[in-house]
Parts: sequence; structure tokens; C-alpha cells
Amino acid sequence: MSKSTKFRSIAGLALAGAVAISLAACAGGSESTDAGAVAGGELVTVGFVAVGPEGGWRTANEQNIQDSFSKDNGFELKYAPATNGDQNSQITAFTSFIDEGVDVILLSATEATGWESVLERAKEAEIPVVLLDRGIEPNDTELYTSRIAPDNVGISASAAEWANGQFPDGANYVVLEGPPGLSVVNDRNKGWDETIDANFTKLESQSANWSTEEAKSVFETILKANNNNVQLVFAQNDEMGLGVALAVEEAGLTPGTDVKIITIDGTKAALEALAAGRLSFVAEYNPLFGDTAIQIVKDALAGNSVESEIVVPSVTFDSPEAAAEALPTRKF
Amino acid sequence: MAITEPIVEMEAISIEFPGVKALQNVNFRLFPGEVHTLMGENGAGKSTLIKALTGVYKIDSGTISVLGAPRAFSGTADAQSAGISTVYQEVNLCDNLSVGENVMLGHEIRGRFGINWKKTNEAAHDALVGLGLGDIDPRRPLSSISLALQQLVAISRAMVSRSRVLILDEPTSSLDANEVEGLFGVIRRLRDQGVAILFVSHFLDQVYAISDRLTVLRNGEYVGEYMTPELSRSDLISKMIGRDFSTLAALGSNRGRAVHATGKPFYSAKNLGRKGFIDPVDIDVHAGEVVGLAGLLGSGRTELGRLIYGADRPDTGEVRISDAITEVHSPIAGLSRKIAFSTENRRDEGIIGDLTVRENLVLAVQARRGWARPLSKREQGDLCEKYLVELNVRPADPERLIKNLSGGNQQKVLLGRWLATRPELIVLDEPTRGIDIGAKAEIQETIAALAGEGMSVVFISSELEEVVSLSERIVVMKDHRKIGEIVNGPDVTAETIVDLIATEGNVA
Amino acid sequence: MSRDSSRASSESIVTRVIHRPYVWAIVALLLLLVINLGKDPAYLGISVNAATGNLSGNVIDILRASAPIMMIAVGMTLVIATRGIDLSVGSVMAVSGAVSMEFMSTAGGGTVGEALSAAALALAISAALGAVNGVLVSVVGLQPFITTLITMLAGRGLAKVITAGQNTSASNESFRWIANGTVFGFPVVFVIAGIVVAIVAVLVRRTALGLMIESIGINPRAARMAGIRPVGILIAVYVVGGVLAGIAGIFSTASVMTVEVAKTGMAAEMDAILAVVIGGTSLAGGKFSLTGSVIGALLIATLDKTIVFLSIPSSATPAFKAAVIVIICLLQSQRIRALFARRRSGPSSLTPPPRSPAQPRKESVSA
Repeated sequence: MSKSTKFRSIAGLALAGAVAISLAACAGGSESTDAGAVAGGELVTVGFVAVGPEGGWRTANEQNIQDSFSKDNGFELKYAPATNGDQNSQITAFTSFIDEGVDVILLSATEATGWESVLERAKEAEIPVVLLDRGIEPNDTELYTSRIAPDNVGISASAAEWANGQFPDGANYVVLEGPPGLSVVNDRNKGWDETIDANFTKLESQSANWSTEEAKSVFETILKANNNNVQLVFAQNDEMGLGVALAVEEAGLTPGTDVKIITIDGTKAALEALAAGRLSFVAEYNPLFGDTAIQIVKDALAGNSVESEIVVPSVTFDSPEAAAEALPTRKF
Repeated sequence: MAITEPIVEMEAISIEFPGVKALQNVNFRLFPGEVHTLMGENGAGKSTLIKALTGVYKIDSGTISVLGAPRAFSGTADAQSAGISTVYQEVNLCDNLSVGENVMLGHEIRGRFGINWKKTNEAAHDALVGLGLGDIDPRRPLSSISLALQQLVAISRAMVSRSRVLILDEPTSSLDANEVEGLFGVIRRLRDQGVAILFVSHFLDQVYAISDRLTVLRNGEYVGEYMTPELSRSDLISKMIGRDFSTLAALGSNRGRAVHATGKPFYSAKNLGRKGFIDPVDIDVHAGEVVGLAGLLGSGRTELGRLIYGADRPDTGEVRISDAITEVHSPIAGLSRKIAFSTENRRDEGIIGDLTVRENLVLAVQARRGWARPLSKREQGDLCEKYLVELNVRPADPERLIKNLSGGNQQKVLLGRWLATRPELIVLDEPTRGIDIGAKAEIQETIAALAGEGMSVVFISSELEEVVSLSERIVVMKDHRKIGEIVNGPDVTAETIVDLIATEGNVA
Repeated sequence: MSRDSSRASSESIVTRVIHRPYVWAIVALLLLLVINLGKDPAYLGISVNAATGNLSGNVIDILRASAPIMMIAVGMTLVIATRGIDLSVGSVMAVSGAVSMEFMSTAGGGTVGEALSAAALALAISAALGAVNGVLVSVVGLQPFITTLITMLAGRGLAKVITAGQNTSASNESFRWIANGTVFGFPVVFVIAGIVVAIVAVLVRRTALGLMIESIGINPRAARMAGIRPVGILIAVYVVGGVLAGIAGIFSTASVMTVEVAKTGMAAEMDAILAVVIGGTSLAGGKFSLTGSVIGALLIATLDKTIVFLSIPSSATPAFKAAVIVIICLLQSQRIRALFARRRSGPSSLTPPPRSPAQPRKESVSA
């Protein structure tokens, strides 16, 4: 239980922090500052158009961003999470940040498409936009300054490589995806499909909408449809992987032995499951890139040239021991 | 009426619905320049015959000829293009359009740039003038004019399409006397222009006032065709109901009854009123007494009835029931104080259409008992048996949906709903409107009988004769206030009330 | 109308069956099972799982998956019967799940008592949310759509506040047993759902509540004039809807012992409304059928499972689901049914219009 209480205290701090920041933002008004002013000790206002509560990974990521862009580091962050994952609420927040005249906008888009016109407006207002994690479609690098994200294609490729090593003779496998159409989903499919060996058989690819409950229900049926003849599951996030593990146990099989489960994200819950042998491979999708983001923002404001694509390094955990080792210092 | 060839001739028409012979060998003729009334009780087949003529229903046998040629229309629109227009009971116009647009719908005058509204409105105006309605501005929204005028607009619309036959299905059921006179003026004008008019109404006086010829139907069968002046009212009624008409003759008996208005009243209200609704009124009702509420439509008679029951919450006044001060501010409060209220708006406030006769009948009793104490099947059966028989509901099938009953029978079921609560005071708002003569007589009889058993009755009706014949005292309303109270006696007639309304209270 | 009496009687049986509004849902349900049998002849087989000792099979899975849908569909049926709608059921599920998970993870003892307390607390809060809906609709007079839209948004917000935005897990074997256990081979969830449906059925059909709900739904003004107090009944109906959604929330979260604040009960209101419509209760209110809604819930669960079983691609899933539901609703429509009935009664050009409730009300006034 120590895990959950600790979690809560972090989250509590986060809430308090968010309130304090937004209160400060209100009090501070909207006097505009420029790059020069940073050096002079004035705060740089940063608008963060965020996704909001979604899962462990997202919480860790947004918390990290909020912690990094602190007053001590010379920033004033305005946090605007989406209402129930609704893109409209994000666009509204984005537009009001432009109207307020913030210095920089950070964007984690809930949906990939439909951002052109607001990004144009930000460009006209000469406000640099840095995309965090989620990309946009079509990916027009002219419209934003930089995108900082772990490499979904690379991460799922590393998961496939591990699978190739585990099953040299191939295996029957199932992919559980997020909602169809998301760029994350497409990238994670791409990396996997490009890397997995030809002697593997993809039985099925179903969406379980990132949800543990849905993944459990979907996988129990997949097991029955295939007479339990599934050796490997590629779950595109930790939550779905945990649901798969439950369904496997419910069917009287042993996860890790009868069915090996790969998940992406690397949240604490997943590492605990890996340490307990219920998951077999966890590829981290590193949410902690606040420091990188600060560097990019500073560069952009100073007028330095910035790479349009910055890959956040991520690690993988392929054994209970590795997971157990990482757990004590796991932040998300 | 010099022309001898009928414009419409229907011969030996039969229509059968599953399990029902709706029409059997019915004949009907309609001549240009006459008003021909279709008479019959509810369910006699009047509407079915009209729908057979206009092609809404397909006939199973028989022939329909128009101007000597056999025709079979596919529906109202098809009939209309052959010059046969129908104006229904409930006006089917578009509330959100203007008068002119409604009149000219489908006949708009087109110019180079689409519809020429100026010319269209002029044409509408001409059509209205043709019916003596020149003072209606065609640009006014339809919803801003009275129901009576809307009816006339519907007729104007029929005339714009140059109709030679105009079917008016109960056009007067929601009009007051003046409005009916206006409508009749229009009908006579059209008749004189040679239009053949088929008229359906329940009001005998109106039938005699306007029609030249009558066709009587009974239970889907043809009874006969008569020239109106040659058929006496009592003959007509006995032809319609097919039995001796002693019940109606028995009416008026109440007038001779001893007046009960002595001693403490069962119900007594002082200054009962509601702001913007009705001015404070004093009213007493004794046990076994029938108090009539007379007045024109909108005089406040319905509003007073609603306040007595608690359908609307009174904001002034003191109510005593059996001499104890009490408050009646909701229907359930009225019910639990043994007051019942039968609405004039049967469709919107009376019946629950998709429920059965049984469910409708037991509803008020059940509501008073509360949801947790349901009436057993047996109790429900007993109630149904008692009231369906006592009130002569036809068909006496408790499991039939109430919406499939005729208006008169729906009204009887509703009366049964209230009687089943064993009220000590019942407020009846227009219990006999829009129902056939047989049912009407039965309901009037029931009211008299109830009072005879000691029930207090507040009786509201727009038919003054009915009020006079049933009531012992008459409260006269005008402009949302009480303008007088008449103790009924041999010399009181409808004129007495009319005089009172005409002379008194012309203050405003 | 038929000359041959034996034919008439056989026809009347057919007509009676056709007139059950949910007959097509049953047909569709059987059809889906047949399709699944086509893919795997052993689809309906139930076996004892050697490892766990529980009964296992696709049918068991369907029953288990239908339980939460059944709960919200039954609640939704009553609300819809009063001319209302409850969009907040999904959020109430999330709140109920959040409350129970948070309670158990804080208590941490994993005892039966804790499971019961968690469930009781979750249901109490669900009832309170239902009461908020009921009061806003009946006393304040807000539109049900707007009211429950507000509670839908507020409810999910509340779930996030309770869990501080985290997916919260707990371990409690008794609570887990609710969703994953079996009694006499049947899934516990389904047994509980059956009992709850029976209780609700008795509550509305063995008392006068059902009659009053239908009266309010068919003609609210007439119902009030007949002495029915709509305020109390509306509040009661929304509270029952809230409690049932709370039970559904417990079912959902107990299944994985995790509440996913952004996902638990997401779009559940749509499943509930669909189950009600499929079951033959009109969205216009009035007459309702609890049996129909239960069948509707079973159909939706079967449909969800069939989609996975047949390996229909994720992206085509919504379209497939929509197609099945549209077909059922079409088959239920008065017109199509009239057409069907007419074809059966033989080709007669003089067939009068069917005497069905679809006929306009006016005609009965003076026929």
C-alpha cells in the first residue's frame, strides 16, 4: 500500500502546485516579457495546453513539465488540461494563450489533426510552440518550433527485437492498440510491424482504448477464439497489458510462461507487475523530459536555431530483476 | 338549388376494417349550392365516409362519382386537385407562417425572382375579401389570430384552389356563438356562389340553422336522406340513436327540485382567487346541489373550477370544507379532500392515451392511495365492471387502449375515474362538449342522479340551456370575475343569463 | 378477416410474437450466436476450467459482460419512460468505482467488511448523484438532457478529484469475487444483476409505480390532474437510475480492481440508451419494457464479444455495431412491421390501414 499512498502525496502536491501556479499567474497579470528579460530576472510566461488525467504516464509527464518550468527556473507556467480529452477545449485554451500574449506555448495535443489554423495564429503572433509527446498531422514543421518526444517507432521496434530473440521459431501474437487513428498508435504499430520477424503470426489486432477493463474483456474472448493458442501479446500501453495479464490468469494460464506480455510506457504499476513476473517486457516511454523542454524553450526565445525533432532517450526492462532495481527510484 | 345533377354521388359504399364493418352500403349525394349535413353519433361512420370520399381510405365496394364520372382518389391532395377540399376539426395550418402564406400555400404567385410576395399577399387578401374577411391582414402570423379566424383562413385556402366541394368536419366544436355566426355567414356566401358544402357537426341548433339537406348514418349503416326543414328534431335524434328519445325529454327535471341551499354548505370559498388568472370569488356548494358556472369562453369559469380542485394553486382566499378551514393547492390535495375535477381538455389533461381503459379508470383512486398500495387485479376489475356498466361505456372492454374509444366514451371513462374516488364534490368542466347526443343525454342523466344521491356538483358548460336545465344555482362569470348568482326557477332561461352578461359588468 | 379459422389462429400467434417489440433483438441475438457457431462449432460449449475450477465459455463471458450494461439499461428504461434521459450513468459508474477503489486502497485490509463498506459508500454517493438529477429535473424544472449532461461532466470531475486524477487500484478478494467469481457455475455479476432486475421489476410492476411512471411519460399534465405527484416519482426514478449505475460501476471496476478515471463507464450512456431502444421502449416516454431492455443489454454484450471473436478490425468496429443496431431499429419501426404484416395477409390492394397505435390520435375522437 505504500505505493499508492506515496502516489497520492505526489498528486496532492501536484494539485497544490497547479493551484499556486495558476493563482500566481492571475496575480501576475499578463505583462509580456521577452528573452532578454529572462536574464534580467523577470519570469517567462509559458502556456501549457495539456491532456490532463489520462493515466499514470500522462500524470508523470505533466507533473514533470510543471515542476521543471518553476519560478526558481525563471518561468511562470499556466497549466490548461483538456476537459475529458476534448480537442475543442484544447483549442480554446490555445487561443486564449495567444490572446494573453504568453511567451511560449507547450502543446500535448489530444488529437493529431485540426491544429493548422491555431498554429498559424501563434506563428503570426511570433509565439514559439513546442510540441510535447504528441505530434500533429499533417506534420508541417514550419508551424511549430520543435517537437520533444520519445521515439514511438524506435521503442516498439526494440520491443519487437526482444520478441524476435525470445521466439526464434516465431509465435502467435496479438496486438492490443489504443483508439484507431492516433499517431501514437500508428507509430507503435509501424515500429513493431517493421521489426517483427516473418515467422511470427499476427492473430489479431484489436483496440482496447488504452483501458485495463476493456483489454481484459477483449483478450478473454481472443483467447477463446484461438483456443488459448497465443504465446505473445503486444499491448501498446501498460494499462492494457495489465488487463491482458488478468484475462490470462482468469483463463487458468500463467502470464510470463504461457503468454508473454509486452507493454509500453513503463509506469510503476507495470514495473511492479514485471517484477512479479506477470509481464515479460516493458519498454519505457520516458515522460521525464522537462529539462530538455526548458533548454529548447530558452534556445527558441534566444533566437537560436532548434532541431525540429528531439528524441527523448528511453530504456527497456526485460527481466523482473531489472524492474525490481528500477522500482525504488521510479517517479511515475 | 335549381341544379338537379349531383356533383358527388356515392353509392353502396362499404368499408371493412379488421373486425369492424365501418360502412355498409352507404349512399350519399351532394348537390352544388347546398349545405348537406352528415349526422350520426360518434362512431356512426361520418369521418370514415369523408375519408372514403377523399381517398384516405380505400373502399371495399361501391362507386364514387364526381360530376357523373366514376373516380377513385388516392388521398386528400388528389381529391383537392379535383376540386374537393377538406377542412378538418383541428385546423391543419402552419402556425409559424403568415395568414397569407397559409392561404396561398402551394399557390404562391411566382415572379422573375421566385415568389412575388406582394402579389401573393394581394391574392390572399382577395381570397379573404371573397369570404367577407377583408379586415384580416395577410401578413399577420397565423398564430396571432383566434382559432375561429384560423378556421376561416383554412376555408379561404380551400377556396383559393377553386374548390367546388368543401368538406367541413366539425368546424364549430371549439368556436363560441359569435364565431359560429361568422362562420355560417361565410358558408352561406359560398353556398350562394354554387359551392357544395358537406358539413359535420354535433350541435343540433347549428345543423338546423345552416343545412339544407341531411344524411343520417347509424353504426356504419345508411338510415336515410332528408330535407332539413321537413324533419323534426326529435325525429332526427331518434333516427340517429335508433331508439325512443325519452331520456332527453326527461331533462329539466332538476329545475323543479327542492333547493338545497340552506344550512352549512359542504364547500365554501371566500375570496378564492389567483393573481392574473381570476379575481377573488365567493362560492358555496351544498351537499346534493348542482351549481352551474355560466359565462362565455374565457370568462373565468374554467379557471374557477381549477382553483376549487387545486389544479392551479390559489393565492388568495379561505376555503372551508364541511366547515373546517383547509387548503387545496394541488390536485392530490383536492382528491384527498374528496373533490374531483373533470377537465374540458380531455385530450391534454384527461386521458392517458396509451394506457388501457382500466388503467385510466383506476388512476385517480390509485394516485390517492399512493404507489406503494396498488389496487389488486380484483379491485380494479370491480371498479371497471361497476363504472363501465353504470356509465354505459362502449365497448365495455377494460383492456382496450382508451385512445381507441370515441370521444363520448372517453368522457364516460374519465367520469368513471372521478366517480371511483367517491368524491363529495365534483367539478365538471364541459363534460358534454364534442360528444354525441346519446352520450350527452346519458352524462346529463348521471349528473342529475349523482346530485340526487347527495353529491355536490359544480357544472360548467358553454351551452346555457344545459346549465339552466341542470343547475339549482347559477354563478355567472365575466371577464375573470363573478358578476352574479341566479337561483334557478321556472322563469329562468338562457336569456336571463345572457341578459345578465350583456348588461352587468360592462365596467371595463 | 380470414375465412379460414385455423389459419386465423396461427396467424394471431405470429402476429402476437411480431408485436413484441423486442422480438427482433432476440432474432438478432440468435443470429449472432449462429454466426459465431459458424466460425467455431464449439462456441456455445461450456467447460470446467481445470486450473481455476470455474465454468468457462463464451456464453459465460457474455453473461458477465452484459451485467453492467443491464444495470444501466434498466435504470435508463425507467428514466426514459418518464420522458427523461440520463446521460450521467457513465460518470456515476466512474464515481462509484473511484469511491470503492479509493476506500479499499486507503483501508488496505482486504477484508469482507471493507468490501461491503466500499460498496455501500459507492452506492450511497451514486444515489446522491441520482437525487441531484431528480431534484434538478422535477423541482427546478431543468430539462433532463441538460441536467444530466451537467452531472455527466461534473461526475467525471468528481471521480478525478476522489482519486487525484490517478488510476487507482486496490486489492480485496471479496470485492474481486463480485466480478470474477461464480456461484453454481454462473458468474456472480450476472446473478447479482438478475436479482437486482427482479427487485426493480417487482418494485415497479407489483406496486403502482410502473403505472404512474407510464402515466407521467405518456401525458404529464393528465397524470398530474389525476392526482399523481410527479416530483416524488421523478426523484425516485433518477435515484434508482443512479444506484443502478453505481452497481454497474462496482461491476466494472471489480473486474480489474482498478478504476480508470478517464475510461471507466466512458460512453456507457450510449450502450444504455441503445439497449433501451432495442428493447422497444420509445424515447418519447410512456410504455416501457424491462424485459426488452435486459434483452437489449444481452444483445449489446453479445455484439461486443462477437466483434472480437470474429476478428473484425478495430477501425470497422463502430460501423459494424451501428449497422446491426440500425437494422434492428428498422425492423422494429411501425411501418416496416405493417409492411411485413400486410405481406403476410396476402396481396390485397384494398387492405385498409392497419389499426395500430401508429394511427393518429385524432381519428378516435369521431370515427
